[in-house]
Amino acid sequence: MSEPFEPKIVAFVCTYCTYAGADLAGTSRMKYASNVRIVRLPCTGRISPMFILKALQKGADGVLVSGCHPGDCHFAQGNYHARRRWTVFRALLAFTGIPEQRIRFSWISAAEGAKFAELINTLTEDIRKLGPFEQYHELQKVIETQSTY
Amino acid sequence: MSRILLKNKLDDCIAAWRSAGFSVLAPVRRSDLSRFDEVERSADMALDLVLPERTIKDHFFPQTEPLIKYKIKKHDIDSQEMLPPDMKRVFFGVRPCDASGLAIDDPLFGWDYKDEYWFKRRDNAVIVTIACTASDDFCMCTSVKLDPDSTKGSDVMLRPLQNGNGWQVEALTDRGNALLGPVASFLQEGSEAPAPVASVPVRFDVDRVMEWLADPASFESHFWKEISLRCIGCGSCTFLCPTCHCFDIQDEGDTFSGIRRKNWDSCSFAMFTMHTSGHNPRNTQSTRWRQRIMHKFNYYRGKFGVNSCSGCGRCTRQCPVDMGITETLQAITNLPK
Amino acid sequence: MGIQEQYISEAAGLLASGAVKLVIGYCEGSTPDRRRPVFVRTPAEAERLMLDGACVANLSTYLITEGLLSDGKSVAVFLKPDGIRSINILAAEAQINPEQVVIFGFDIENGQARTLAGRKASDFTSVVEAAKAAGLSADLQKESERLVQMSAEERFEYWKEQFSKCIKCYACRQVCPMCYCRRCIVDVNQPQWVNTSSHTLGNFEWNIVRAFHLAGRCVACGGCDRSCPVNIPLRLINHRMAKEVLDAFDYYAGESTDQKPVLATFRQDDPETFIL
Repeated sequence: MSEPFEPKIVAFVCTYCTYAGADLAGTSRMKYASNVRIVRLPCTGRISPMFILKALQKGADGVLVSGCHPGDCHFAQGNYHARRRWTVFRALLAFTGIPEQRIRFSWISAAEGAKFAELINTLTEDIRKLGPFEQYHELQKVIETQSTY
Repeated sequence: MSRILLKNKLDDCIAAWRSAGFSVLAPVRRSDLSRFDEVERSADMALDLVLPERTIKDHFFPQTEPLIKYKIKKHDIDSQEMLPPDMKRVFFGVRPCDASGLAIDDPLFGWDYKDEYWFKRRDNAVIVTIACTASDDFCMCTSVKLDPDSTKGSDVMLRPLQNGNGWQVEALTDRGNALLGPVASFLQEGSEAPAPVASVPVRFDVDRVMEWLADPASFESHFWKEISLRCIGCGSCTFLCPTCHCFDIQDEGDTFSGIRRKNWDSCSFAMFTMHTSGHNPRNTQSTRWRQRIMHKFNYYRGKFGVNSCSGCGRCTRQCPVDMGITETLQAITNLPK
Repeated sequence: MGIQEQYISEAAGLLASGAVKLVIGYCEGSTPDRRRPVFVRTPAEAERLMLDGACVANLSTYLITEGLLSDGKSVAVFLKPDGIRSINILAAEAQINPEQVVIFGFDIENGQARTLAGRKASDFTSVVEAAKAAGLSADLQKESERLVQMSAEERFEYWKEQFSKCIKCYACRQVCPMCYCRRCIVDVNQPQWVNTSSHTLGNFEWNIVRAFHLAGRCVACGGCDRSCPVNIPLRLINHRMAKEVLDAFDYYAGESTDQKPVLATFRQDDPETFIL
């Protein structure tokens, strides 16, 4: 295949920090990989692990979850709850064989437009090297074919 | 004199059937579970099992199967039926209870509407049953008027020989006869005696049970609450039952495209009879348990002339809280007249 | 008097005096090695109760039966330390009033049942403390080591094989005292987060979600693992979650009736080694 693999990355971000940071990257005309699809939530505290599973089910090769730095949450405590959730969910995904490098978490503030752009670029290259998440996507493909019985 | 199949000829038979276009499925132990799966050699078969944990129902009525693929377009809907593939299969080493399970379900799947998904698989499968010479504490075929060597639902019956070297072979149907064609050269005439069939004690009086269930006064009896106190409402008994056949239709996909699927459902689930309004006619575990017993030994019998139970005993064998229908039917048998 | 006779006599006494309306215990099962849950309401019926090394099921799951405790009366139940922790969690999550639960405590050592002194959940604080100090199961840790040594791809293949057996019977959920949601996430279809079909993908999603919802709540009673009719080693996943909350947050589920749930609380200095 002559064309490089273009990973599909879904980013679940909070409105007041990371989304604003992404916006800043945009208004500052910083270039970053267009592989990411951004889904905006009010706060990382709203992000349920279901979202990550759904993204994988729908064909994502990588998922980023990002929000305000601890102490800076617009809703005061949302990201503290999120942090605990991520710690636990990450361990669970790793244990079931979903590679840790595919599901990433970050704190990106509204001022960190450059960090956002850089992170997306790095993440895209990392996932590109890992390749498509075939193991998971196979499960979806099998559903769409005839029953094996 | 009868036809004999020796164990050391089984591999030849498998090869011959495969050349004739059949896949051969047999009881196997894989990933810490016993079930029917494709085999290429007799060494892979687990014929020593009294009964595999999963039934052959799985191969005729899968736990989930696609029915239709659809795409909603601007002015119409594209749909494509997803019928099971054409496949000829031999099920070797089926137990009489599992085979009769298929026969019990046939009238249901062919009742008011011929379920092509069932019959496409059923019509292309040959059931080679091995009579039981061993049973365990949970078997109850004799209680439901079947036997460890019932021929119901089978195409070929194999009876294990006393000397353990093979089986006596008897074709029961045209399909069974046709299956023996490609392997005729591997069978021989012999007069070896078959081993005695397993002795399965009768555990309850099914006639008494049916009589009690048919009595309208029994429906509201406090018996149902008492007997089902420990039931936790999982689907184990229903999903592992050779005759249970309830299903749920689910669309999986997104707004404009997806696949309509038929999935196993269980009357034990609290949501089974949940209405969209929120009303649930069977909102207690006892009413659900009552439904299970009534369905198997009254409603199904009324409609199709046969009880929806083949006596395999998996319901009790696998129940997390040691329930299953045996205890209930024993209790009914012992109720004062 | 052996432990069984002692508790039968106590149960009969409590029922006779009206102190409890029901005793949930064990009685003989359909084979000599099986024990089944029994619901005893009269002193005479108390004779059916059994207590020995085969009584392993966590009976606390019956306390959340809808309406059971709504009349304010008390119920007695036979519980091992895992079941006692379940009571603590259910009380902490406002699902039961621990004052309504009389506990016949016991533990199994070398295949024999022995008494644990106490009657209310709060009487068993030292038992739970000792359990926490003893650490999580070394056997389970050893079993999960094998998985941890594998690469992610190998681990995925392992779980894919295990989850392909799943038939979505929900025995794991139904037997678990912690799974008390009126409508489980998998039964919610607006929106449908988890595929309900029991294809491998749907099974993967279901088992991951359930494990997550039990993180910091599972007491390792083994009920799910024992009830699974297709022998999926669920104990390994729940153990991994218990280990994570213990390592990351020093959290041990079921320590007391007012212990805050691990994912509903936080500390400002919670670990965050993996956050970019």
